[in-house]
Order: sequence, then C-alpha cells, then structure tokens
Amino acid sequence: MAGGTVTLNHLTKRFGSQCAVDGICAEITAGEFFSLLGPSGCGKTTTLRMLAGFEDPTSGQIVLDGEDVTHLPPNRRKVNTVFQHYALFPFLDVRANVAFGLKYQHCSKKEISQRVGEALDLVELAPYQRRRPAQLSGGQQQRVALARALVLRPSVLLLDEPLGALDARMRRTLQVELKALQERVGITFIYVTHDQGEALTMSDRVAVMRSGRIVQVANPRAVYDEPADAWVADFLGVSNLMDAVVRTPGNGTRPCRVTVRSFELDARGGTVDVAGQVRLAIRPERVILCGFQESRANLIPGIVERTVFLGSATQVIVHLAVGVTIQALADNASEAASWPPGTPVQACLPADSLRVLPCDPAQQPGESRQAEPAGEPASAVSPAS
Amino acid sequence: MTRTAEAGRRQAGPGTRQPRWLWPTLAVPGAGWLTVLFLLPFYVVLAVAGGTVNPLFLNAVPIWNPLDWQSGYVRQVFSDLFGASAFLGPSVLRTLLYDALASTACLLIAYPVAYFVARQAGRRKGLYLVAVVAPFWVSYMMRMLAWQNLLQGNGLVNHALTVAHLITQPVNWLSGMPVTVILGLVYGYVPYVIVVLYAGLDRIDGSLLEAARDLGLGRTRTFLHVTLPLSRQVIYAGALITALPMAGDFYTNTMLSGVPTTNMIGNVISSSLSTPGQGGEGAVLVLFLLIVMLAPMIWYVRSTSRAESGDVL
Amino acid sequence: MTAGTVTRAAPEAGLSRAGRLSQIRRVRRPSVLRGFVWLYLLWSLAPVALAILFSFNSGSSVTEWQGFSLRWYVGDPYYSVLHDPALHAAVIQTLRLAVLTTAAAVPIGVLFAIGVHRWRSRQASAWTFLMLLAFVMPELIFGVGIFLLFTNLLTIVRLGTTAQFLALVAWNISWPAIIVRARLQSIGDEYEEAARDLGASSVGAIRRVLLPMLFPAVFASVVLVFAGVIDDFVIVDLLSSNAQSQPMSVIIYTLGAHGGSAAAPALNALATVMFIMSIVTVAAGWAVYRLLTRGERHRAEGLSLSAFTGV
Repeated sequence: MAGGTVTLNHLTKRFGSQCAVDGICAEITAGEFFSLLGPSGCGKTTTLRMLAGFEDPTSGQIVLDGEDVTHLPPNRRKVNTVFQHYALFPFLDVRANVAFGLKYQHCSKKEISQRVGEALDLVELAPYQRRRPAQLSGGQQQRVALARALVLRPSVLLLDEPLGALDARMRRTLQVELKALQERVGITFIYVTHDQGEALTMSDRVAVMRSGRIVQVANPRAVYDEPADAWVADFLGVSNLMDAVVRTPGNGTRPCRVTVRSFELDARGGTVDVAGQVRLAIRPERVILCGFQESRANLIPGIVERTVFLGSATQVIVHLAVGVTIQALADNASEAASWPPGTPVQACLPADSLRVLPCDPAQQPGESRQAEPAGEPASAVSPAS
Repeated sequence: MTRTAEAGRRQAGPGTRQPRWLWPTLAVPGAGWLTVLFLLPFYVVLAVAGGTVNPLFLNAVPIWNPLDWQSGYVRQVFSDLFGASAFLGPSVLRTLLYDALASTACLLIAYPVAYFVARQAGRRKGLYLVAVVAPFWVSYMMRMLAWQNLLQGNGLVNHALTVAHLITQPVNWLSGMPVTVILGLVYGYVPYVIVVLYAGLDRIDGSLLEAARDLGLGRTRTFLHVTLPLSRQVIYAGALITALPMAGDFYTNTMLSGVPTTNMIGNVISSSLSTPGQGGEGAVLVLFLLIVMLAPMIWYVRSTSRAESGDVL
Repeated sequence: MTAGTVTRAAPEAGLSRAGRLSQIRRVRRPSVLRGFVWLYLLWSLAPVALAILFSFNSGSSVTEWQGFSLRWYVGDPYYSVLHDPALHAAVIQTLRLAVLTTAAAVPIGVLFAIGVHRWRSRQASAWTFLMLLAFVMPELIFGVGIFLLFTNLLTIVRLGTTAQFLALVAWNISWPAIIVRARLQSIGDEYEEAARDLGASSVGAIRRVLLPMLFPAVFASVVLVFAGVIDDFVIVDLLSSNAQSQPMSVIIYTLGAHGGSAAAPALNALATVMFIMSIVTVAAGWAVYRLLTRGERHRAEGLSLSAFTGV
C-alpha cells in the first residue's frame, strides 16, 4: 500500500464565536507515523475530523496526495478512521464488520473473502472472525477496528485516541503492536492523543497543539529535549522550571549566563541569544545531586524535602535556595536515594541540559542583545517569578 | 473547552457533511400526518365552538373565518357552568373531586409498590415487574368488566361482605355510587403510575442511599431525606400522567355507574356530540378542558424533555 | 451494604440462632411492604383472573361456578363469540385496525423520530413537543377534534374504519417516535460516521447501520402500538359508524354499560379473547426479540424489560 502525503494549509474551524482550530499548517510525509498531541480542547480531534471529512473547515485547505479534498465527503476520501470507541457494528460479526466497506469498492465475493482474510491475519484475529464485537476484549475490538479500516487500503489512516479505553498494560502492548503494524503496512498514520508518553513512543514526528495552534513539530527526541517553550517543556514529561534573568546572552561559542536570585548559571540549551526575563528548564533525570561538600559548576544548594520511590527510580524532591522546589531522579542504589528529608544537598544543573526558554512568547531570539541596564546587579535582585 | 463541550457543539452538525434536506424529509410524513390529524382538528373544534347551529337539522355549523366567530356557544356553556341555572357546574366539580381523589389514591398505592419492586425485590425483580405490569396489557374495558362481575347484586363482593357481617343486605354498587367510580378509576390508572414511578425509582443511584446510611441516617430518615426528594420529579410526572388523562374519562363512569349523578365532564362532552344541537357546546367544553390542562401538559412535556437530555435522577 | 438488602438473604438453614438473629438484625425484612405489594397484586389481578375463569363457565352466572365449558367461545349458537355476529365482527375489526395501524404508524413514527432527532432546529423541537403532548392529553379531546374534523371539514372521509385508522395512526405515532428517539440518543453518531468513513452514503449508513441498531426499539414500538390499538376505546367509539366498525372494546362498552347485561359471560369470553391476543403479541414479540438479538446479549442497554415496555 502506498502511503499518502497530507498537507494542511491554514486549516481553520470555528464553531460560532469559538475557534477550535486556528489556521494550522503542516506537511506530513508519506508513510510517516505522525501524532497530534495536546491537552483536551486543543483542537486535535477537530483537526482529525476535518481530515476524515466529518467537519467542514471554515477556511483553509487539505491536500491529500496532491488532490484538494477539503470539501470531499468522507465516503469519497482515501482516508479511513479508527474511532476512539471503535464503533464496531454490534449486529455483525467480526468478519462482516471488516468486510463492510468492501461493498463500496465493487469487489467480487472471492476478492472480498481474500482481502478480509488478509486483514484479519494482519491483526491476528482470524480465529475470532465469527464472534460478535460484544464477545471480544477491548484490545481485540481495537484490532478489528484497525482491520476494518486497513482492508480498504487507504492512503492515510486516522486514529482518534484508540488506546484511551484500555488499561495501562494493554496500552503498552498495543503501542508496540501499532507501531510495528504501521511499519509493515507502510501507510501514513495520523494519531491523535493527549498522552505524551504514547506520542513519544510511537511517532516519527509529533505536532504539539495548544488552543487550536501547532506549537512545535519535531521528532520525539527533539520535542522532549528541545521544547520550543516552557509550556511544551511542561507538557511533555516532567520539567523543572524556574525564572531567571539573562546576564550575558550566549552565542554559538559561549553559553548564556543567567542569574537566578543570587546564583549564576551557565546554560547552553534552548534559545541562548536572548536577553531579559527567561525561564530555565531541566529534566529531572539530568539533575545531578551531590553532597554538600562537592564543588562543581552550576551548583545550587538546597534541602531534601522528601523522596518518592517510583519503582524504576527514586524521585528526590529538593527545595533549592533560590526558592524553587525541583525534582531529581536518582538511581535506586545511589546514595541520593537514601538521603532523609532535611539533608542539605547541592543540585548540579549541567549547562548542556539546562535550557533557556522564552518567557514571553513574543520574544524572538536575537532581540535586545545587550544586557539589561544597571538595574540588575549580580547579588541583590530576585527576578519576578 | 472540554471534550464533552466540543462534542456537544459538534452535535450542532453531524449533518454538517450531510445533505441538509435529508432529515426534514424523513420527518415529513409524520409531520404531515400530525398536522392534518392532530393540529387541524383543534382548529375545527374552534370553528365549531365559534359557530352556529342549523335550525332545521340541529347539527352544528362551523364557521371557518376566525373573524366571524360567534360567542353563542361559549356564553351558553359559561352560563351552564357558572350561571344561575348552572347544571354543568356539579359535573365539573365532580370531575375535579374524583380526579383528585383517584390520582392521590393511585400515587399512594403506586409509590410503595414501585419502590418495592425497584429497590427491594432482589432476585425476583423481573417476576414482580411482569406481575405489576400485566394489567397494563389487559384492556381497560376488560378490567372494568371484571369489576362489574364482582360488584353485581349477587356478585362475589356482596357475598364476601355479607359473610363477613359487614352488610346485611346486598348493596347496589353499580348504580350511582361515587365510591365505585373512584375505585374504578384507581383500578384502571394505577398500573400506569406504577410503571412511571418504577422507571424513576429504578434510576436512583443506590450508592446515594448507601452513602446516607453510611453517614448515620436510619432507614426512615434515609427515605424521607434522600429517596423522596430524589423521586420528586417522578412523582410529579406520575401524578400528571394520571390526573390529566383521567379528566377526560367517561367510560369508567358509564361502565360502573351509568347514572347522571356521577357524571364527569367527559360524559357531558361525549353525550353532547350525539345530542342534536349540542355539538357546539361539546366543542366549547373540549376547549375549556384543553385550556385548563394546557399548563400542566406543557409543564410535563418540558420536564420530560429535560429529563431525557440527561438531567438529574 | 445496600439499604434494604434482599430479604431472601435472611434465615439460612444451618445457622445458629445467634447467627440468624444477627442476620435478621442486619437485614430487616420489609415484610410490611412486601405484604402490601402482594395485597396489591391480588387486588389487581384477581378480578381479571376471575373474569377469565368465568368465561369458561358453562352457565351464564358470573358468581357461581357451574362447570367448565367453551360455550361462550364456540358452543352457544346465539351468544358465543364465534356465532354472535356482533361479537364475531368485533374481533375481526379489532384485528384489522391493529394490523393496519401498526403497519402505518411504526414506519412513519420511526422515520419521524430519526428525522427530528437529526434535524436539530427549533422547528424540530416543536415537533418533538407535539409528539410528547399526545402522550399526556386526554384521548377525549383528541377524539372530539377528530370527530368534528371528519364530520365538518374532511367529510370525504366518512366515519368508519378509514376514519378510525387515520385517527389511530395519528394518536399512536408518539409511541415509536418516543421510543426510537430515546434509543437514538443512547446510540450516538459514531456508528453512522464509521459507516460513512468506510464508504457508505448518508442514506446507505442509515439503511445498513442505523436501522439494524434501532431494531429493538422498532420492535418494542410494534408491540406497543399493536397492543395499544387492541385496547383503544375513545377514538374508535367516536368514529364508529355501524356494527361493522365496532371493535371489541366498543362492543364490551355498549353491551356492558350501565352495569352489565345477561350476556355477561359472552362478554367475558370476548374480553378474554382480547386479552389472549395482547398476551400473544407481547410474548411473540419478546421471543422474536430475544431470538434476533442473541448476539447482543452482553450489552445491558436496551435489553431490559423496561426498555422493551418502552418506559
């Protein structure tokens, strides 16, 4: 099956006075596993429904494999959907469900039988083909929904939070299976979810959406390690955030020097060439906890508030001298994991892992290159937080 | 904007990508039928009520132009109801009385039964439900007939009462006894009330009651302070679904009594239709009945639609 | 523990007295309530049961049992249901009206419900309103209106079977409309969308997906309308013209008015026939329903008795 390229051109959808999708643009390459990630109400589902054909865009364009399908009804698009609650027809058995759409592709009975068999083999449900949906487990139902869509050989498969109704373990299993399936079948998958873990696990690229707009599009690693702004940083995984003021903007060679209260830190990540108020972000797993005697760069002293055993690691919550509480992740066997609450420690925030993020979304890199005027002496000022 | 809010708005158009003409077209046959045979009759009633009588054949002559409507019949009925020689007044009052008594009795009987079946019947719930709902399927006439059998002069009721020394000679139950009519009404309408109350009581979330017990309320107080308030809406609905149709009842009276002293307004209306010259008055009375009941009917419909769209209970 | 747990849980054989006492204390038997319900059931069903019983009486008394016989059904050459022309015609008329009305009211009502549900405009809500109104309005008001309609305006339709049919359909559209509408609200849009996603047109989606899913509701409507027409009185009485157009309910009323008559046992027999018709309808409906929805047994919604009775 050939995957499809999808282009979204300033796609907008308004419901009355409310704007659900606000002029989003995206280019999705053929055969890609592309995720739309965002919190409830960010417009990802509406976007998917416009792609499927169930909503009429207010303005903008959807181009599928070079053809403008913006106003094409859903039954005429080479796009199929896996619904969140599967929408399997309860009065048909599995086989009939999968065969449902083939009627509209004018296949002979023999061909229908063959293709249904192929689809069922693809999702490994051949032994269940005579059962009714009500007699299947959640994971099996989801696979039937997949088979029903894939049997029609669409260019693009849309998935609307298909794993939402399953328990955690089943979800993990199916995530792997879905990804494998997509690679085998080779068509474009557009996947909607609010679960960042899911998006990161399966996608080739992730589009993070917020309030109807796409905030960042990148591969999972980039979105996680190099979030575009503080909001994305906080949405994807845990992020320690603190306010800071730039003392010396960085450039290609030297890091950005910022002050947090009376502490000076170097930061190499993010948009280092800005000035003024910024936010710093660092992932818990990058924070290095050291004893009070050690000496390193980028150290801030603090006190252990408490430790939380997570199973695979231990979370150490430290209240820093700058007035911010951060989380650090320590190995279960390490010393840090066994420090009792009240232990004085130092948190090292390595410059390479410390990201500078714009505070104000309007602030562009490269603006106001000089340091703030004399109101920022190194010791006294605490930046507003 | 939560997902449910999104979905709610989306409801404004699953027809968005579908031809707009599709849905109204499906509704047209039903709408057409209802217009001709439900709405139009109201207009005819108005026309007859505002019309005159043919002096020769004494049948009602409707006037179709609203501007030409006469008030003759209306005035006649008004005087019959409220005027000096008001002979319809008693019928109306009697209807109200019988209706109120019978409806109240229905509720008083139905609530415990419905409550029991809904909440306390345990494993046998289905069986109880069938037993309680069974009269629903027995025709009204047959149920009245059944009581006729029992209430005859030499019938089983008189037999039993005589044997129990409660009466000394047979009572004529079937002629002009209000008690019979009221009991007949109760007997006839109570299954409807039970079904409505059952549906509502069944829907009450058991965990609410458990929470009340957990918080220390005894059984009586749980009932008074939790169950009863929660079932208020259903009680009103049940009361209306009995009281309103009952107001138009006339056959119960005819079957179980049949003399004018226990007449209800329905009897007056139905006899006016077959009496020459009184068609117009019948029409006015129907309008009168309709107007009186309009407010409760509308209230019922609105609260039902609200309940249907998922509120409460 | 649920308030008022099943009384059946009480005294288990084999428990000690203390154990049983503690169970009783925990699970106070609502015996008063249960007694009341049984009393009600007795009061409710006994008269009907007796009427049925006495319809098989070999004599014409309704108080004294004189032996079993089918006299009033087929035996008596003058008064039995089979031989008395009025009674005989009444049975036929009832069946005729029931079949015709159901055949018309259910399709119209179902389509009406689907159309109004999706239409979603203020006009649509007005129609819904009208539909619900028919539920709670006294039949007399409607009956008088229809009667006047056919005698003054649409006189092309004479009183009789046709008029009865037209009026009954109008009166009974509410049943399927309301039941189907409730079902539509619980089904939601997803299945049709899935069908269209897979290639069906709007109409095709309704035909291949929505209608099969509405089947239980449609079926419940058929049963309710059919039984309702068998039972109907006011409309058919007002619109009947001669003996041919008097269904069973009217005959019983005419002959039984003012306290009954000598042919009472025959009336009981007639009423019993009516009763059996209703029961058979409901039972057949239930059986077919169970048969055709066996694949959906697991789904709780729509399969309870209450859904079936439309409440």
